[in-house]
Amino acid sequence: MGRGRLSRILAVAANTFRETVRERVLYNLVFFALLMTLSGLLLAQLSIRQDEKIIKDLGLAAMDLFGSMIALFIGVSLVSKEIERRSLHPLLAKPLGRDEFFLGKFFGLAFTLFVNTSAMAAGLFLTLLATGRSANLGLVGAIYTIFLSLLLVVALAMLLSSVTSPALSAIGTLGLVIVGRFSDVIRNMREVVPGAPDWLVKILYYAIPNFRNFDFKEQAAYGDPIPLSALGQVTLYAAFYVGLALAAGLASFRSRDFE
Amino acid sequence: MKWRDGLLVLGLGAAMVAAQVWLDQSRGSLTAGDPSLYLWTGTQVKRMVPGFEGLFADIYWLRTVQYFGGQRAFAQNQRFELLYPLIDITITLDPRLEIAYRYGATFLAEPRPVGAGEAEKGIAILERGVAALPDNWRLRQDLGFLTYLFLHDAERAARILDEAADTPGAPYWLRTLAADLLVKGGERQAARRMWRQMYEQAEEGIIKENARRQLRQLDALEGADALTALVAELTRRTGRKPASLADLEASGLARGALVDPSGTPYEYDSTTGKVRVSQRSVLWRP
Repeated sequence: MGRGRLSRILAVAANTFRETVRERVLYNLVFFALLMTLSGLLLAQLSIRQDEKIIKDLGLAAMDLFGSMIALFIGVSLVSKEIERRSLHPLLAKPLGRDEFFLGKFFGLAFTLFVNTSAMAAGLFLTLLATGRSANLGLVGAIYTIFLSLLLVVALAMLLSSVTSPALSAIGTLGLVIVGRFSDVIRNMREVVPGAPDWLVKILYYAIPNFRNFDFKEQAAYGDPIPLSALGQVTLYAAFYVGLALAAGLASFRSRDFE
Repeated sequence: MKWRDGLLVLGLGAAMVAAQVWLDQSRGSLTAGDPSLYLWTGTQVKRMVPGFEGLFADIYWLRTVQYFGGQRAFAQNQRFELLYPLIDITITLDPRLEIAYRYGATFLAEPRPVGAGEAEKGIAILERGVAALPDNWRLRQDLGFLTYLFLHDAERAARILDEAADTPGAPYWLRTLAADLLVKGGERQAARRMWRQMYEQAEEGIIKENARRQLRQLDALEGADALTALVAELTRRTGRKPASLADLEASGLARGALVDPSGTPYEYDSTTGKVRVSQRSVLWRP
């Protein structure tokens, strides 16, 4: 990739980041901070010795849930908004390729999610420290895999938004995210539907993004170490799937007629 | 925003607060609600929250503690029918949540009005805990304690405590306690040791308070037995049973006020010569 190409992608990414900040996406951090503070103060009294686990569970689940919502709703509107506002035409008239625009949008939102997840992680660690609890390395591993899953949600949202309307792509992405969390049910589908052909089960299992792969919340909550090999495997899976979704999205975006 | 809009918002806000105050006054601020469960098994809940099982286990555990505490403290007619399903959902969602097995089993097994009076279910919860966390000696210890204290099955309890003693990290006294259970006549001492362990291991709260009360009950029973022995001694010396505990006090055999640890006077049956804990005492149990 040439230097000029990279700088154009980064320029679009920086612009996308500024745009998402202007849209007050990071306001969810205020809610998260309140949630963490209140849970830190209240849970010790309510839960009988489970405050540390609950703070970790709550923090990780909030990162996963809020992050997925931001990734989904901003992800589907990234490209479509530029088309609706007709701001895409002057942009593409400049020396900016469609693929640079598309990838720049992806990296811009990815950076927003990185900032969002990092701030939430800092809030979680601070809450644990303030309540005299320990933070472990497993927690960092679980947060990292949540971030990877958010990148996958963005890539899927951008892929679907490049082929259909924003509303349909939002529904489609949400469907994929939900179904992807039931990957164990898909794998064991024949126990419930014995007549389902094996090939169909296999196609569904491998084609639908497996969001279960990214879930290390339980290990982190109990302070179990997460093996580096497991993190490496998940990183590879995310890289391949995100790459696939972006490549397919790019192919569709390149061939799309905006007139 | 015009001043009229601002006034409207302020007025409605004040009215909302007034309505809440009125509601609290008429219903009481600490009333137990009418709790209900829409999903009754852990498997159903687990299927609905993939990826968030840990968080939902926490939520159900908080509900369990609130439900149990609410029924115990505030309900007019205690009802514990949601207790078992709540614990079942919690431990199905998170089979490693040790506290839910330990406290949940005690909530279920303790006789009413302290607990739900369902010892078998409490023991079933602990058995699931032992299966899920086989290296956890505390769960086996609690299983042995509850089997002895509420099912009164000394042989089975001793076997469970022996297994607990074999678990890595288990304390040495589990094996001696298991042996004590099989010695006839040592029931009260064994029970005292169990409640003492529960008291020392528990955090401040329901379980510790309950263990403290059980120990005081045992003190009260031992006090009554000691006084019965003194009545027998006085009978031997005088040739007749004392008419009241005041006679025992006057004889000089018993010193101090003849009250149980809660300060309630003991009751005396002059026909049998037995002293017992008064039904008026908070330490009385059937």
